Amino acid sequence: MTNNLSNYVAGREAVLDRVRHLLRDTMKLRLEPAAIDPDAPLFGTGLGMDSVDAVELVVQLDAMFGLQLSGSPFVSSNMRTVNTIVDAIMELADEP
Amino acid sequence: MSLEDEYRFVRHSAAISRMDHVCCVRIEGEDATEAVDAICSGDLWVRDGRMRQTLFLDESGQPTADVYVCPDDDSCILLFEGMTVEQLRNSMSRYADPALDTQMVDVRATHELISLHGPYAWEVMSRWLTPDIIGLPYLSFYHFDQGTCFRAGKTGEYGYDLAVRKEHADGAWKDLLELVSAVGGGELSLETLDLCALENGFFSVRHGSVEGLTPLELQLQWRVSARKRFPGADTIDARRAEGMRRRLTYFVARDGVRAGDEVCSQDGEVGRVRSAVLSPGVGGIAGTALLDISVAHPGIDAFWARHEDAKHSIRTVSSPLIFNRSLLVDPHRHTYETRDESFDPPLWLGAPP
Repeated sequence: MTNNLSNYVAGREAVLDRVRHLLRDTMKLRLEPAAIDPDAPLFGTGLGMDSVDAVELVVQLDAMFGLQLSGSPFVSSNMRTVNTIVDAIMELADEP
Repeated sequence: MSLEDEYRFVRHSAAISRMDHVCCVRIEGEDATEAVDAICSGDLWVRDGRMRQTLFLDESGQPTADVYVCPDDDSCILLFEGMTVEQLRNSMSRYADPALDTQMVDVRATHELISLHGPYAWEVMSRWLTPDIIGLPYLSFYHFDQGTCFRAGKTGEYGYDLAVRKEHADGAWKDLLELVSAVGGGELSLETLDLCALENGFFSVRHGSVEGLTPLELQLQWRVSARKRFPGADTIDARRAEGMRRRLTYFVARDGVRAGDEVCSQDGEVGRVRSAVLSPGVGGIAGTALLDISVAHPGIDAFWARHEDAKHSIRTVSSPLIFNRSLLVDPHRHTYETRDESFDPPLWLGAPP
């Protein structure tokens, strides 16, 4: 594995791990972090969250990662699965 | 009708389809819920009138059917794909306590199944059935004089599955098709339905072989109970204990990738393509691959799919792949007639494959 790829995977796994723990500890998902599949839908089916949970989750993500996700285009396009949240965090963290 | 036409119906207006690939039974009797609970992998905490997605697994933990469970008073309606009614009957005989009081009724003997999908499917349903239908939450159902309406679907768009009594079915199909046509839509094949399900990350028994796979590799752990025993639970426990080795991962490619291709990195094989279809929304191939867990992540463009001497670059991506129009359509404010898509983002938000 190239350095670039192994660094990317390590960075992604670190963010994924933090989001999974946040979902379990703060959003009260009754699943162990490893059992939260990265592509599981957040709402409706899947992890079973609702619109109230969505607002709370954005607030918690802002606090955890020091980002300003609330009010950004992030919410409509990225609040769909754990992986899409991780995509957005990594993208926003890369911005100057 | 071409696949592109059908795709446009689902993604931009409304589409209607016969659900010949879906079985529907009603489990009746005092112990109906207990019997269903014994054979499905998920927890059945769901109120009357709501639906839950779960799976039937075999002893090796491999999915045999994709299932909606719908508790309904003292009975349970099951909508399922991947297994016949007879196979379900055998499975219940094998795994549910024979002392339980249950009877199985094949709903398809008396009803036809029809489905509607699309960002304006709600408009069709509100004209055909009742305007109140737009308030029906996702994964809930509603009985009406001609049958039952299930607010479901696996395309990421507004979706309705209808079980219509046979004496009304021809009339219902004709009226619905007329209403669908009035919003620029039309009939939909199973092939396009499966493509849309794949683009939105829905599991399908038709998206490639599940040989040797369990809900762990398929990213379906949310459909598996941690509290009860069910067929395949021992295998899943054992696989969890030894650690997951592969995970289903979505990818896009420009062209040429086929199911069964090896996925390679510069270090060698890292997985295998499970499904690959041409996606008009993505503008290339959308697919899934079983990748080594160490690299089973989106955002990697260092791999290629290999078939004999041909190599095609792939990029792993997050699911869902499509930014559904239904996310932008509010039934309380919008109609097909007054729609304006000029400011809508593209269906695929990523870089061209």
